[in-house]
Amino acid sequence: MSKTAETMIEMIKVSKIYPPDVVALRDISISIDVGEMFFIIGMSGAGKTTLLKLLCSMDSPSKGLIEIGGKSINQLKGSKLARLRQKIGVAYQDFKLLTDRTTAENIAISMEVSYKKPQMIRNRVRTLLEQLDLADKHDTITGELSRGEQQRVALARAIANSPTMILVDEPTGNLDATTTERVMQLLTNCNKAGATVVIATHDQSLYQHTSHRVMELRKGQLHALAETGGKTS
Amino acid sequence: MSFWFTVIRQVGRNLRMTWGSQIMTLLTVSLSVLIFAFFYLIYTNMLHFGDKLGNDLSLIVYLEEEPVPEMQQQLISKIKAFDDVEEIRFISRAQAYQRFASQLGKNQDVLNDIPKDFLPPSIEVVPMKNLRSLNQVKLFSAYLARLPGTTKVQYGQDWVERFYYFTKLLSIIVLLSGTLLILTTIFMVAYTIRLTILGRQAELELLKLVGATNNYIRTPFLLEGLFQGILGSSLGIASLFVLFQWIKLHFSGPGFLNLFEFSFFSPMVGLTIIGVSILLCTLGSYSTMQKFLRI
Repeated sequence: MSKTAETMIEMIKVSKIYPPDVVALRDISISIDVGEMFFIIGMSGAGKTTLLKLLCSMDSPSKGLIEIGGKSINQLKGSKLARLRQKIGVAYQDFKLLTDRTTAENIAISMEVSYKKPQMIRNRVRTLLEQLDLADKHDTITGELSRGEQQRVALARAIANSPTMILVDEPTGNLDATTTERVMQLLTNCNKAGATVVIATHDQSLYQHTSHRVMELRKGQLHALAETGGKTS
Repeated sequence: MSFWFTVIRQVGRNLRMTWGSQIMTLLTVSLSVLIFAFFYLIYTNMLHFGDKLGNDLSLIVYLEEEPVPEMQQQLISKIKAFDDVEEIRFISRAQAYQRFASQLGKNQDVLNDIPKDFLPPSIEVVPMKNLRSLNQVKLFSAYLARLPGTTKVQYGQDWVERFYYFTKLLSIIVLLSGTLLILTTIFMVAYTIRLTILGRQAELELLKLVGATNNYIRTPFLLEGLFQGILGSSLGIASLFVLFQWIKLHFSGPGFLNLFEFSFFSPMVGLTIIGVSILLCTLGSYSTMQKFLRI
């Protein structure tokens, strides 16, 4: 298999400038392989969330090329864009939950758009809620959940459709140590199952002793890239 | 999960969320269809009645003197020179007297002291069925009035003219109520769909992010308009039918209404009105989607 085929994410000199001239990202070039777990770290405002938004096509770059699975996503529209998004699970920093719907309904939504069978959806929702210690919240309206619970629901929705790529923005921001461990275990399991996982975080405990690659952003620029095993480029 | 199952579930959710405005829209569509169909029903019945009247239409040409056979032939050829006619009948003074006497029935004694030739002779002209418009009848009447020896031409001018202007007025009302139907259905459905879209903004945004296709997001709104059209127009036509039956039942005795033979729409016309309403409602929801649901 060629290198391109093994690469899940390819970013070449990607910049994002918001009007009038706020530079969110500048000349970011990075390749992330299929099945890799990858950390993006940096302080608030470093550009982590912007980078994830570009990867999931929620926003488009001002300059540069982004390829997912060997295909440029810059000009994707319509059903092609929809199909790509079905393969990407995103846990947003602001959760983007429907606060007037139940936990189960929120998780099911990502599977419904792919026309999964109702029985399969019900089983998958129950399994995920058990894994995230939310089994008793199945029928609770998400607006009534705590921030930490909402965060886990957002994560469950991101991975429910078994996506090939999972993008997670600050996954443990509102969680205690035990739940953080539980969440990380779930993401690791997804990664072991073959999904490419990209985690944006400023929580040192998540990446301090990791064997995965870590990229540090500072003021929208790539500051450092720690290779597997702790080597820094 | 199939596409249609998901879409119908979304429609149900939309209807539950905005049931108040949905009912208002449904009632407005029903009322618009009812108003339009009501006037259209009267209009079609009037046209039918007009046709029947036209079949009985005849022009009576009163003459100064009874025409001799030779003159009768001349008059026939002159009348036919304007247009072909169905029938020409010459009525002598004596025949006119006889007719009048039989119309008086028991009261014909009043004629005892009156000479039997006091009524003028006349010609009854029954025009062809294609000579039915008011203007043509007027022209024919004017032509007959110019024939030599003619004193007067009668065909119930006042009545025919009033009926003609009444049907003309009805056609204007039908046009206006048709316009009302078009405007209210399109605007009300568009407004309701707009409310639904605004109420579900967060969900629609999320659906796009999790990979919902355009069809997945848009079809429920189109179906919503379609349902409004089907339910609203069916309700409107059904209400008119009930109203029609009620009027028939309560006013079927001797009276003015009994002059007319009122009949309801044929199923084809009813289905056409429902079909057009569905089309208008779907158009309303489509226009709103184009404006407020850019994906």
